[in-house]
Amino acid sequence: MTETLFEKIWNSHVVVEKENEPSLIYIDRHLIHEVTSPQAFDGLRANHRDVRRRDLTVATIDHNVPTTDRSLPMIDETSSTQIKTLEKNCKDFGIKLFGINDPNQGIVHVIGPQLGITLPGSTIVCGDSHTSTQGAFGAFAFGIGTSEVEHTLATQTLWLEKPKTFEILATGKRKNSFAITSKDIILSIIKQIGTDGGTGHVLEYRGDAISDLSMEQRMTICNMSIEAGSRAGLIAPDEKTFDYLNHRKYTPKNYDELVDDWKNNLMSDANSKFDKSFTIDVDKIEPQVSWGTNPAMVSDITGKIPTPEEFGQNNEIQIESAKKALLYMDLKPDTPIIEIPIDRVFIGSCTNARLEDLKDAAEIVNGKTVNADVDAMVVPGSQMVKMEAEKLGLDKIFKDANFEWRESGCSMCLGMNPDILKPGERCASTSNRNFEGRQGSGGRTHLVSPVMAAASAIAGHFVDVREWC
Amino acid sequence: MIGNVIKYEQDNIDTDVIIPGTYLKIHDYNELATHAMEGLDPEFPSKVKDGDFIVAGKNFGCGSSREHAPIALSTCGIKAVIATSFARIFYRNSVDGAFLLPIEVDDETYQKISNSDKLEINIEKNEIKNITKNETYTMKPFSEIIAKIIAAGGLFKYKK
Repeated sequence: MTETLFEKIWNSHVVVEKENEPSLIYIDRHLIHEVTSPQAFDGLRANHRDVRRRDLTVATIDHNVPTTDRSLPMIDETSSTQIKTLEKNCKDFGIKLFGINDPNQGIVHVIGPQLGITLPGSTIVCGDSHTSTQGAFGAFAFGIGTSEVEHTLATQTLWLEKPKTFEILATGKRKNSFAITSKDIILSIIKQIGTDGGTGHVLEYRGDAISDLSMEQRMTICNMSIEAGSRAGLIAPDEKTFDYLNHRKYTPKNYDELVDDWKNNLMSDANSKFDKSFTIDVDKIEPQVSWGTNPAMVSDITGKIPTPEEFGQNNEIQIESAKKALLYMDLKPDTPIIEIPIDRVFIGSCTNARLEDLKDAAEIVNGKTVNADVDAMVVPGSQMVKMEAEKLGLDKIFKDANFEWRESGCSMCLGMNPDILKPGERCASTSNRNFEGRQGSGGRTHLVSPVMAAASAIAGHFVDVREWC
Repeated sequence: MIGNVIKYEQDNIDTDVIIPGTYLKIHDYNELATHAMEGLDPEFPSKVKDGDFIVAGKNFGCGSSREHAPIALSTCGIKAVIATSFARIFYRNSVDGAFLLPIEVDDETYQKISNSDKLEINIEKNEIKNITKNETYTMKPFSEIIAKIIAAGGLFKYKK
């Protein structure tokens, strides 16, 4: 019988499986952060439970850390309390914490792979929906809520319904592989399959156009799988995966042996059956810009803001949602995307703040200056990314162009720390969600790639970044 | 279970409007509840009554894994969300912590239910009675897996 990659990973982690019952699945790695863990630790204490596998549990602080000078005291008391609570919980339960001043601190989905904690074929959970990022390494990695965080802490297992499988086949070759990025590929996919197209499924991205991507580009794709409603995103590991994870801080000692095993086992069998399938030809993809308030409301850079009727195609609810989105975004139908002026630029988040993202953005910015009407900032995905970028002099390129260069964290992706949009401000953002109020109450988010964000910062409006490189 | 409907005729009601990110720092459930639905309907906490139901379109609760979303709604008094479909993490969070019932209905039922209708939900019979309109609808049954977690009273009571 043939099996997909997901089914192989699932089957190798089943502890208990009975018909019409949830399956008990073993969890190989549990990453935690300050926001979704405090109630879980309260629950452990209230029920006199311990952490079952502290050696498989790792914590960092990312969601509400300030990205400014960390030698200064924190102004926000509730954030400070939440951070201190995680520090105490990790101390009390003996969990490794990459704290606020640790050189390995960073966004949890950025540091997992960087430290070699993320491994192919493993099951990885975190109380954060973008855990799907780590599926780029051929791991079943998915977000969970706080009850499940507590369950994992206590038992190192989870009761799960088995998701279905969904093949996303990406064929062809991008016409300009610098200006048309993996962010544009995933935005195009979500535009077509919808924000609930993947509900109840694990997406496996396959095909030459996926193999062609670097590990960091693959992470951007898997990161946004959740925006299509899917449980997780998955890419079969290959030589690029094995090279990336070699010689990391926590790479296992028997790495070569593991790689041999992964090479033989971690792929979907030929002719294996997926529950659903979708094909995208990347030849046809242009740079993408979101115009609305969910990640399926996306346009080609050469396009215009659609009318609600064009977007909704006879579906009343969709038409109404487009009207509401245009009102919130203060945009009029038929406006060319390239004529939309912006106030802010945010290059950051677990979607697009790794070294390659910053290198590509810096290449656009080099020698130029941010438009006088735009405030722009770069927030590296981790302190390791920041350090590597500084070794390459990227910080200087950005600062010379009037970008702010910050410490790492989730920052303006979700507006939990002081990095937020003011009401009415319009932002070109490399993050993952353009929901109403996501980056601050009344803020307007346009999701774009790092090169698009960089070029727009210089121009003061969206541009066809293919003309910039 | 009897309650009144607060209806939002929208798809994709996301966790960022159910409870905006800035409030995820709040540890106290009652304080969290004062910001429920703030991104969509700032009047919500003052108009919701204990036992009420939310009715909405597809993909309810999409976005973040924050369990704060069902917690905020439940602490306000919401006992069930009736929608044409749910995002999976919100769905499991609602059930895992026994915060509220996520109930799926078809499009037709969704259209028939109006704001302020009084409903009676009977999960044993998979039935929703509209007391105001004297109509009866069928809800999609919970999968056996989810039904067992609901019957147990949440994830930690299941298989204890």
